[in-house]
This record gives sequence, structure tokens and C-alpha cells, in this order.
Amino acid sequence: MKRTFLALTLFVSSFIVGQNTSIGTNEKLTFSASYNMSGLLTEIAQVTMETSEVKTSSSTLLRLKCSAATYSSFDSYFKIRDLYESYVSPTSLTPFLYKRDINEGTYNKFEQYKFNHKSRNVESIMRKKKKSGDLEYKNNVKIGYNTRDLVSTIYHIRNLDIHKAKPGDSQNFTFLFDNEELILNVKYISKETISTNIGKKECYKLAISLKNDNSLKGNNDNILWLTADANKIPVYAKFKIAVGTGELKIKSATGLKN
Amino acid sequence: MKRLFIILGFISAVLAVILSVTPFSKIAYIPGIAAFVFGLIAFYLAKQSSKKPIQLIFLLTIISLSLTTYKAIFNKAELGNTQTLELKEKESEEKAIEELEGLDLDEFEGVEDIQFDDQTQKELETQN
Repeated sequence: MKRTFLALTLFVSSFIVGQNTSIGTNEKLTFSASYNMSGLLTEIAQVTMETSEVKTSSSTLLRLKCSAATYSSFDSYFKIRDLYESYVSPTSLTPFLYKRDINEGTYNKFEQYKFNHKSRNVESIMRKKKKSGDLEYKNNVKIGYNTRDLVSTIYHIRNLDIHKAKPGDSQNFTFLFDNEELILNVKYISKETISTNIGKKECYKLAISLKNDNSLKGNNDNILWLTADANKIPVYAKFKIAVGTGELKIKSATGLKN
Repeated sequence: MKRLFIILGFISAVLAVILSVTPFSKIAYIPGIAAFVFGLIAFYLAKQSSKKPIQLIFLLTIISLSLTTYKAIFNKAELGNTQTLELKEKESEEKAIEELEGLDLDEFEGVEDIQFDDQTQKELETQN
């Protein structure tokens, strides 16, 4: 009886934790990526984060799509047309398929990960465009239990119960990028009210850093502001780069879940 | 001393002009203002000698700052042609559906069950 009760309690609690409470099925967030040098802001690209439902013959999935495109003034210098997609479970945000198609200047790359969570294995395909012709690499990558892809990790962070966290609390997330498992550390700093294009918002201030990589290093250098409401929209992000800072500011948010 | 400020002013002014024609035109304010300051110092130090190089520094500075200010006021950040990206998004979704048809999508429910079972097993072991 005791065992059954314990098992039932654990089952119910694990189900509640796995629920998607923040991400809507037709959500569209538009951002402007800019470069800030001594307060002189230069808008470089538009970044969109969109969700939509995708139906297969047997199930319905959530498509998480992130795209980046440079503004017309930059197109003749360095044109970026990047597309990142993740097809996830609408309830637990567990990824099944991840695609990355980047087109940056003359650099082109395509990546695809097919997740097999039972065997903790990812079938990876990587294609690179070269002058001599397209190169294709196929790999099988062993992954850890909670390894996701980059896009679903971002959405997963939004789905966390941050209101339960205390300032200074941190959590690690493992994601697969370029066939390597990277560890993203997210630290809750404090609550802060900032004014954005969608109004004045009370936000959770989170510090982001990569543990085993050279990019996104440093202590509290890369900050993300998520609205302190049920939607937890990323409204502002600041990243330290060699000279100056990179910024991501929200322009519009539609189709929110709550 | 005067020559040093003329050289510094000239370098800053040329840099300001170059930056002002690029999309990073706002950054041109930094070398533009620096060139103006260097020019003023050189002008003060020049006294009776030739001021033609200093005039050139001021001319370049005025051109760069005017162009930067014009671009800052009238140029708005607009997206260029994204048709290929939109087309790529559609094609990618269609291909993804085909790929997903081949996957055992019920397995994720299984993953959660496995997680739950593992946790429960550990809890039960500690309980016993």
C-alpha cells in the first residue's frame, strides 16, 4: 500500500513537472539583434521565435522555429539567413528532430539530429558546402539522459518554475551542438523591472554561461531577462563580445499561451 | 607636436568617413569627434603656419558626421529579401514531417516512464 501510494505520488509529481505551461502553439516573438558600442546602437538582424503544431499520421508535435535574417543594409556586406528548428513533444518539450540550416555570407552548413531517447542515441547528419562540392558526414552520437538540442533547451528554460528559485540558484542543461554535448549554466540573479517595446515588465534576471566552451564565458556577462509571468517571454538579452556588447530586444509578441 | 595632431586628426577623419558609409555608421561618431578635437588642437598649435591640412581634417569630419546623422535619422532597419528563407522553412517542415513519420514517436512517453520507474525504483530501494 505504501509502495503504491509512493509510486502514485511520484508519477503525478513527475507528470506535473514535465508539463508545458508557458509555450503556446501559435506563438510568435520578434526580436532585434543589435551591436552596442559605447551606447551607439547598431541594429543588425531580426530574430524570430515561432511555434506551430505539426501533425504526423500518428501524433501531433510542436515545431519550435528560430530564424535570423540581417537587415537590408547589412545584406550586401554579410548576409545571414539562419534557420533553427526543433520538433518536440507539446507536453514535455522533449525533442525528436532538430535541424539547423545556416547561411552566413559564403558559409553554409546543414545539421540534423534525430533523437532516440530510449537508446540515448542521436543520428546526426552534417552537410557543408564547399567549392569542390557538398560534403556529408553521418554520425551516431551517444547522449546523456537529459540532453536536448539548442532550440528546445531555450524553450525548456522558459518552462522552468523560476518563481520557486532563490537568487543565486543555478541549474545546468546539457545540449548537443556540432555533435558535442555542451553544458549551459543558468543562474537566477534577481527580479528586475525593465521597459521594453511591449511595455514595462517585471522580469527574472538570469545569467547564462557555457561550462565547456569558449563562447558565452564569464560570470554574469551574459544576461537574459524573462518576464516574471506565466509566459516567461525572453524580452531582453545582453551578451559580452570582444568590443562592446551584443543585445537582443523584443519587438513584438503574439499568440501567447497565458 | 602640430604634425602629430594633424596625422592623428587625418587618420581619425578618414576612419570616420569609411565607417560612415558602412552599416556601422553610428560608430563613426567616435573617430569623427576625435578628428574634430585633434583638428582643433592642431589649429590652435598652427598659429601663422599653413592650415590647409587642418581644413581637410575638418572637411572630412563634417562629411562623415553629416552622413552618419542623415543615416541615423532617415535609414530605418528593414528586412531585405527573405523569400528564400521562407521557402526553405516550408520545405524543411515538409521534409521534417517525412522524417518524423519514420520515427517511433511513442517512445518519448516511454522515456518519461523510464525516468519515473528509475526514480521510483531508487526511492523504493532507499525506503526498504
